[in-house]
Amino acid sequence: MTVLTDVLEPVDSGPATGQDLLAERAREARRLVVDMAASPRGCHLGGSLSVLDILIASLHRASSGDGTEMVLSKGHAAAGLYAALYVNGVLPENPAPLYGMAGHPYTGHPGPKVPGVRFPTGSLGHGVPYAAGWALSRRLGGKPGLGIAVTGDGELQEGLVWETCQVAAAQRLGNFVLVVDRNGGQNDGMVADVSPLPELAARFAAFGFETAEVDGHDLAALTAVLSGDRTEATRPLAVVADTVKGKGVPAVEGKAASHYVTIDAARAAKWKRAIR
Amino acid sequence: MTATITEARPALAGRDAYRDELTRIAGEDPRVLCLEADLGGKNHPFQRAHPDRFFNLGIAEGAMVDMAAGLAVGGYRPFLSTFAPFAALRAAESLKLTLGYLNAGVTVVAPYAGVSGAWFGTTHHCLEDLAVLRSVPGVTIAAPYGEAEMRAVVRAAARSGKPYYIRTGRNAAYTSLPGQDDELPLVAWDSAGGEGEPCLVSVGEEGTRLALEARERDPGLAHAHLVYLDHDHLARAAAELAGRHSRFVVVEEHRREGGVAEALALLMPRCEVVGVNAGHDWPAEGGDHHEVMARLGFDLPAVLSAASRLRAP
Repeated sequence: MTVLTDVLEPVDSGPATGQDLLAERAREARRLVVDMAASPRGCHLGGSLSVLDILIASLHRASSGDGTEMVLSKGHAAAGLYAALYVNGVLPENPAPLYGMAGHPYTGHPGPKVPGVRFPTGSLGHGVPYAAGWALSRRLGGKPGLGIAVTGDGELQEGLVWETCQVAAAQRLGNFVLVVDRNGGQNDGMVADVSPLPELAARFAAFGFETAEVDGHDLAALTAVLSGDRTEATRPLAVVADTVKGKGVPAVEGKAASHYVTIDAARAAKWKRAIR
Repeated sequence: MTATITEARPALAGRDAYRDELTRIAGEDPRVLCLEADLGGKNHPFQRAHPDRFFNLGIAEGAMVDMAAGLAVGGYRPFLSTFAPFAALRAAESLKLTLGYLNAGVTVVAPYAGVSGAWFGTTHHCLEDLAVLRSVPGVTIAAPYGEAEMRAVVRAAARSGKPYYIRTGRNAAYTSLPGQDDELPLVAWDSAGGEGEPCLVSVGEEGTRLALEARERDPGLAHAHLVYLDHDHLARAAAELAGRHSRFVVVEEHRREGGVAEALALLMPRCEVVGVNAGHDWPAEGGDHHEVMARLGFDLPAVLSAASRLRAP
C-alpha cells in the first residue's frame, strides 16, 4: 500500500484557493445541509456531512478547468452535493429552500438537470463506472483531467463497484480516482455489522490500484491527494477517507441516527450556530 | 455511405454485418468506439482496423454500459455489444439510466435475442428484451432482418448520436429484403395481399423468415415487415398499416406480453390483431434454433393457422 499523502507536494494554495477559503466553503455548505434537513423533506444528513470535505476538495480540483469530473456515486448525499456546488459558485441559486420541491431539480438523489451534475446517481454503484468512462474519454482524447468517483463505504457492497475496479485496473486507467467516504454507517446500521469491509485499502491494492488513506476531514490532505497530474499514471487511485457521520454538527456527529434527519427551523438555527 | 451487398458472397449474419459496418463507419468518424464484454470473438474486424478504439472490457456488462455513458458524455459515440440476455436483462437498470434518463448517444447491439442461443439453454435466451426496452422512453429499438437492413440501422445509429437498442440473432444469415440499402421505410411492404386478406406483420429475423414462408405457402396473405419497434415508430407504422388492412397477425420471437402485437393492438383499436410468438414456456431441452422455437409453438404452422382463423367468418 502506498500512502500518497506522505509523498505528494502540498496543494497550490494561492490566496483565492487557500485552505482557509476551502474550510470556510465547507462550513457554509454544512449550514446549507442543515437548512435542507429543516426542509419539509428532511435529508440524508449524516452522510452529507461526512462527505462534505471530500466534495469540497474534489470540486476544488474540478474547478481547475483541466477536465476533471467528480461523480458523487453515493447519491443519497445529494444535499451535501448541492451545498458544495453552491458554495463553489456552480449553482445559480441557493438550493436549500428548493430542496425536494416541485418545479426544481434538487431531488433527493441528483440528476443531470442540476447544473454541474452530468450523471444520475443514487442507485448505488453506478457513479463508479460513470467516472471511469469519463476518465477513459479524457485519455482517449489525449487530455488531462481525472474521473473522480466518490462512494460510500456501505456502497462498496455493490458488485458493480468491484466489477468496475477490475475493468479500470485492466484498462490501466491511471486518471480514474475512487474516493471512499468511510463513515462506517449504512441505512440499517453499521457497515461492520451488516457486511464488513476489512482491509479495505489492501483490497484496492490487490485489484492493482495505488492507494492512499487519509483523514476525510483534513482538507489539506484531501486536496493534496487529489492534486496530482495522473495523465501518465497507469494504475487507478483509491483514496480511503476516514470520516465521521454528521461531521461538523455536534448534535449529530458520530451518531448512526443521523442517517436521515428532519428537523424544525429552531433546531436548525441552533445546529448551524454550533458549526465551527 | 451506403452498403453494397454483392451477390458473389453469402450474406453476413446480423452480428457480423454490425461489426463490419461499424468498422467502416469508424474509419470516417473518430468518435465511434467499439466496446465488448468478452463475447466479440478473437478476430473482431474493428479491433484489427482500429485497435485504439476497441475495448474488450471483460465480463462486465453493467460496467460496460455505464462506462459507455461516461464516454458518450465525454464526446464519443460508443457502440457496445453483448448477448441480449446480459444486455437487456442483467444490465437493465444501466440501460434505463444511460439510454433513457441520460438519453446518451450509446448504441447497444444485442445478438442471441429470442432463442437463437437454442441448445445453450435458458440463460442464453432472451424473450423479454422488447418488453424491457420498449418501456424505456427515448430509445430507438430495431430488429433488422438481413445484412442490408442491419447495416442501414447501424449507420442510422451512428449518424443520430441517440440511444439505440439493436436486436439480432446468433449466426444465421438471411437474404435481405429488396430496397433496403439506405433509408429504411417505416413499413416494408413485401406483399400487398389480396382484397380483405389478413396481413402478416413480421418482426426480427425469424419472425420475418416465418412470414415470408407463410406468404409463399398462402399467396393471398399480405406481409408488412417492421424494423423499428419503439413506440414512436410503431405509432406511425400503425397508422400506415391500419390504412391498408384491418386484420393482422404479428409474428415475433418474443414473449406474448410486452411485445409488438400488444402494442399494435392498442395502437389500432378498430383492427383485429393477433400474435404468433414464444408464449410463456421455458425451453429446457436442446435442439437447434428452429427446434427450440417449435417447442414454444413459434413456427410456420402456427402462423398459417393464425391467418386462417382470422379469415374464418
